[in-house]
Amino acid sequence: MLKVIACFKWVIDEADIRVDAPNRKLLLERAAFKISPYDRNAVEEAMRLQEQHGASVTAVTVAPASAKNCLKDVLSRGPDRAVFVNDPSFADLEPARTTGLLAAAIGSFVEFDLILCGEGSSDLYAQQVGPALAEKLGIACATYVNKLTYVEGENRVIAERKLEEGIEVVSVPLPGLITVLPDINTPRIPSLKQVLGAAKKPVEQLTPERLGGMPAERLKTMGVVAATMERKRLRFGAGAEEIRSVVDALLKEGAIG
Amino acid sequence: MAGIWVFAEGAEHTLELLCAGRKVAEQLGVHPVAFAPDEELARRYLAHGAREVFVLPGLAPDQGLEAYVPVLAQAAAQEEPDVILIGATQRGKEMAARLSARLDTGLCSNCAGFEVDAGSGRLVMERLMYGGAGVQKVVCTTRPQMATIAARAFEPAPAGEDDAKGTIRSLAAAPSSPVKVLHRTPAARGSVDVTEAKIVVCVGRGIEKKEDVKLARDLADALGGELACSRPVAEELRWLPEEVYLGISGKKIKPQLYVGVGVSGQIQHVTGIRDSRVILAINKDENAPIFEAADYGIVGDLYQVVPILIDELKKTLKH
Ligand SMILES: Cc1cc2nc3c(=O)[nH]c(=O)nc-3n(C[C@H](O)[C@H](O)[C@H](O)COP(=O)(O)OP(=O)(O)OC[C@H]3O[C@@H](n4cnc5c(N)ncnc54)[C@H](O)[C@@H]3O)c2cc1C
Repeated sequence: MLKVIACFKWVIDEADIRVDAPNRKLLLERAAFKISPYDRNAVEEAMRLQEQHGASVTAVTVAPASAKNCLKDVLSRGPDRAVFVNDPSFADLEPARTTGLLAAAIGSFVEFDLILCGEGSSDLYAQQVGPALAEKLGIACATYVNKLTYVEGENRVIAERKLEEGIEVVSVPLPGLITVLPDINTPRIPSLKQVLGAAKKPVEQLTPERLGGMPAERLKTMGVVAATMERKRLRFGAGAEEIRSVVDALLKEGAIG
Repeated sequence: MAGIWVFAEGAEHTLELLCAGRKVAEQLGVHPVAFAPDEELARRYLAHGAREVFVLPGLAPDQGLEAYVPVLAQAAAQEEPDVILIGATQRGKEMAARLSARLDTGLCSNCAGFEVDAGSGRLVMERLMYGGAGVQKVVCTTRPQMATIAARAFEPAPAGEDDAKGTIRSLAAAPSSPVKVLHRTPAARGSVDVTEAKIVVCVGRGIEKKEDVKLARDLADALGGELACSRPVAEELRWLPEEVYLGISGKKIKPQLYVGVGVSGQIQHVTGIRDSRVILAINKDENAPIFEAADYGIVGDLYQVVPILIDELKKTLKH
């Protein structure tokens, strides 16, 4: 049976981020968390392989110990079980550390043929973890994939990569890793039955101690400030006169004409 | 031998990285080193300031550029460069991530700018996070320090004054790769490049149906501008080609005027239009985030506003 892993990240919903502009500070305290959007495509693609080929699906995440809600959320989307690599210190991990922990967890504790990742996470969008994980595990990978076909009996997948210069179709031997683009599929909304069933599915917890310790630091964050923009922020109504005054202002600024 | 290595898919992108690399190289007192697919380009890179160029032997037809990862990794292990800058194309990003994993070093993805800390010799690099809402400053605590850099983030390196001085060396051929390319279809290139347009009218999901895109096109025509869109209009609705969607994962533009028509202004979109000189937004929801990013905001139904706007523009721009 094909064994598929879908990796996912529990991220801040960036739509909830508020900015304290004078101090260039991001206000994150009241932001909700969600499964990173592209990872939902990875989970959905894993479920599609389950429906077509009877694959087993394990969802794997590295997250702070407090992020328990991510398990119910991901399991309601279909996977059979979850692996929760966690520690209270795991907030804002850099990509190399996330990769190291995933590699240690998957390498020692999860059997797999195929790993699916989103092309990047919506918080950092470093786009490193997928390909770096493949390298750490010593397996083949294909990135930016928008169509995936498992070739039964040949132990490989055929992946269509959507690149700047066009479409490239590649054959990837298994075990392998694929990073998916958002247009590979449309993630389904979990049904009530799935949401209720999620709580009963098995979850394996792994801590850095069991994985041989915390990977060393490679990239240090010196600070994060809000990206600010100087804008006039003038408001106008929809009447002809007001629109006329917008046109006049644009002319005066040299933006049109 | 230490050095600042630059690698990118295209010659133009390589020259831009070479420009960035030369700055770092001067400050660290080391040499800029470039990678080229052939001797001709290698000589060009030497003329533009590289002190050494590695020529990469050609690939087999079923190999992608990513097949060079083991070659680059081996060269880096031998030569121990201080810094490796890689062009942030999709292939470049995959290669950089895999190379950093092989070399066990830190990688700053999509670095938008940097300063060299003279004391430590470390690059203090800036990049966007949270869809563009935040600017993150990072340093690599390990060697080589790595970053990917998008096209057009730097000017191309100018030709040097003295003649091309430096060495050209050939690297080993790429070993056969497990991933085999079966087929390639070049993208159909649209004729417009929205990044070049002075005026851009952007279609958002506030436009109700495909036929109504014409309304935005009429506005673009009245302004003498080009048409662009938000991501869902290209990727979900497929009303306009993907090469004209704007945002953090799409095109970044710097026109003199951006006009958002039924665009909500989520941060991922705004990140692509942030450098526009003037932003005009038309949206019926007065709480839409686009108004925070706009100089001029018209609160109203686009189906009512746009025809009036076109009329007024025609009256004004006639002369
Ligand atoms: C990781 C990630 C990356 C992303 N990258 C990008 C990116 O690069 N580019 C991008 O664009 N998006 C990107 N997105 C998506 C982004 O978050 C938004 O969902 C998207 O930009 C919204 O597009 P929109 O404004 O067209 O649609 P909507 O958000 O649906 O907004 C439509 C707007 O139209 C207004 N409207 C409706 N009817 C009318 C009317 N009759 N008259 C006037 N106004 C009307 C509404 O008030 C609303 O504000 C990304 C998302 C994620 C998670």
